[in-house]
Amino acid sequence: MKISKTVSTLMFLPFLLFFVLFWIIPFVYGIYVSFHNWTVSGGNNGFVGLDNYIRILTPGSMYHDSFMNALGNTLYFVGISLVPLVVFALLLALLIENIPGKLKVVFRTIFFISYAVSVTAVSAIFKWLFTGNGGYINNVLQTFGLDSIRWLNTQPYAWIAILAATVWWTIGYNMILFVNALDEVDESLYEAAALDGANAWQRFWNVTFPSIKGVFVFVVIITVIASFNLYGQTLLITEGGPARSTMSLTMIIQNTIFSQNNLGMGSAMAVLMGIIMVFITGIQYMIGFRKDENG
Amino acid sequence: MKKLLLGSLLSSMVLLAACGNGETGAGDDTDNGNEEIPEEAADATVIRFLNGFTGGDGAFMKEIVDNFNDSQDEYFVNESQEPEHYTQFRTGDYELVVMHGVNLETYSMDGLIQPIDGILEDVGMSINDFHPAAEDLVGLTDGNYGIPLDIHPLTTFYNKNLTEEAPETYEDLVTLSEELQSENENLYAMGIPDSGLIEFYTLTLAAQNNVDLLSDDERYLNFAQEDLVDALWILHDMIYEDNISPEGLGLDGEFHAFMQDSEGDSGGNQTAVSLTGPWYYQAVSDAYGDDLGIGTIPQLGEQVAVYGNSHVISLAASVEDEDMLEGISAFIEFMYQPENLSNWAASGQAPLHTETMNYIEENAEDFPLPYQNQQMFDDYVAAPAVYQFGEQMRYMNETVIGRIVREENLTREELMEELETATGIAEEIADTAPEQ
Repeated sequence: MKISKTVSTLMFLPFLLFFVLFWIIPFVYGIYVSFHNWTVSGGNNGFVGLDNYIRILTPGSMYHDSFMNALGNTLYFVGISLVPLVVFALLLALLIENIPGKLKVVFRTIFFISYAVSVTAVSAIFKWLFTGNGGYINNVLQTFGLDSIRWLNTQPYAWIAILAATVWWTIGYNMILFVNALDEVDESLYEAAALDGANAWQRFWNVTFPSIKGVFVFVVIITVIASFNLYGQTLLITEGGPARSTMSLTMIIQNTIFSQNNLGMGSAMAVLMGIIMVFITGIQYMIGFRKDENG
Repeated sequence: MKKLLLGSLLSSMVLLAACGNGETGAGDDTDNGNEEIPEEAADATVIRFLNGFTGGDGAFMKEIVDNFNDSQDEYFVNESQEPEHYTQFRTGDYELVVMHGVNLETYSMDGLIQPIDGILEDVGMSINDFHPAAEDLVGLTDGNYGIPLDIHPLTTFYNKNLTEEAPETYEDLVTLSEELQSENENLYAMGIPDSGLIEFYTLTLAAQNNVDLLSDDERYLNFAQEDLVDALWILHDMIYEDNISPEGLGLDGEFHAFMQDSEGDSGGNQTAVSLTGPWYYQAVSDAYGDDLGIGTIPQLGEQVAVYGNSHVISLAASVEDEDMLEGISAFIEFMYQPENLSNWAASGQAPLHTETMNYIEENAEDFPLPYQNQQMFDDYVAAPAVYQFGEQMRYMNETVIGRIVREENLTREELMEELETATGIAEEIADTAPEQ
């Protein structure tokens, strides 16, 4: 059946409408607001040019200190979460690919189901597990004669607790993407590699990985973006503590806008965060693209 | 023709998008009430009443509202209980809002609330109908910006199995902890958290040590005072010098340690006393039943004093309509009858309304927590009225007290440096206040 351009355009319009309403306009409006002294309650109090950006980027103001602290924390979390969320997800997917058919469905469901749990429930569970005074993990440690650890109010343990919660919560999503990619790998390549006497590692490195590389790069990019948006876990498990060491960029932006009533400054922070994320994502694309060319 | 059709659709779409993009302000013309207005109230004047009572106390406020709505048909109070009710209030349309006392200065400076003396006058009330502590809570330079509802001070709960009565002094706590430790090394007198109720602890200790946190120009909180170092150092001593509290308690640790069972499987530290928020009453009452005791705050410094936050009912700046104001007066008059406001006391909150306080005193057995907490009103010290009080306190909450509680080797000089940082931030926050 041939669909006319008019009909196809009309079918596309609902998407375009919502894309404009809920993406383009807020995006442009956010940039506009960031150049103004704008409060949530009072609205626009005048154009201030780059003043909001200058105060964030110039040492000596509380906005600079809180933004830079949160940026450092967020980058740290992106760094420590990338390997477990991508590599462990790939390992899980490989494991699932190599178990019998019926069990494969069962384990795929088990590993993915945690992704369906809300961040509030996940955080409540992990807060209880890692509570310093009488928490489950410390109880286990004490059973084995080990000292208790103040998981949630000392570092690096607070990050470990948040990382554990995040990995448990979201690893299933990446795993499903890898499982689907692995399903698409041409079986004949494995057969050819086996005939050539390739061992398991050689089969993975020379057949599997090149075949799923596109998905791998995609998973890395969406994982970095997701980790950049860290919010629920740090808000509900550590409240940004101890001493602001798990305060993420999103928490700072939320606080600046709604607690300090400073929509202009918060929008400037959000724009800067977006620029940083685009920059990092661009680098990832470039690296992935260059390797494709070389390959 | 096709191009014309598509062009028209796209233009309409963009126009629709642009029209939907209104100013973010208090003038949004949406119905923010969360209660369905019954048919019989269709002709009534609707008063939109916003509060943040999403916990157990919400049902008690709802009962007062429902009773008012049932008592007459001229006005209908449409109550909204929202977890982010301050954001709701800033961006929506409401006539009445329950605010915390520490936020009145901010919301009055932002032009979001107005003096409520006219309402008080209409119902034949004045600030003298409340405990004297109310005056400091709601009185700003140009009038009273709220009708006092309650004070929820730092509250003392104790486990009668571990101590027969609430400790009254620092020395009592030392003695109690020594006795408990000799029985079981996991037992302590009380717990000091590193985050959570820090505002309550900081201001109570400041008040007990005669520290005035208001800066000379009355704009910001001045933490950088040697007297405050001495006052806060009491927390450090309670943990590392006198072993009154276990080390390393985290967020809301004073409550969690009180709820532990030192002989149970958890292996955690248990405390006999908890200085915590009255909103935990239901939880501790369920856990301890008749073994729960309620006391007054012990004297940790030079004098007896206690800090707590408060709820007040404020009038939105946008309310001008005479009929609406009459409806609000009728609602306030109804609420502030002791038999009605005692519903609020039944939630565990301690009203400031003198007649209701008398009613609670006469029925103390029915209102154990409000009765005990209203005993402390005479020693109550309100927070300084500054713009964005919570934000000015934030660095103390998030960093300073945590260091005192967690770091045994912290020095007084390092603490003073942190207090100077906190003061700098408070001053910077104060600078964001709109010009009056």
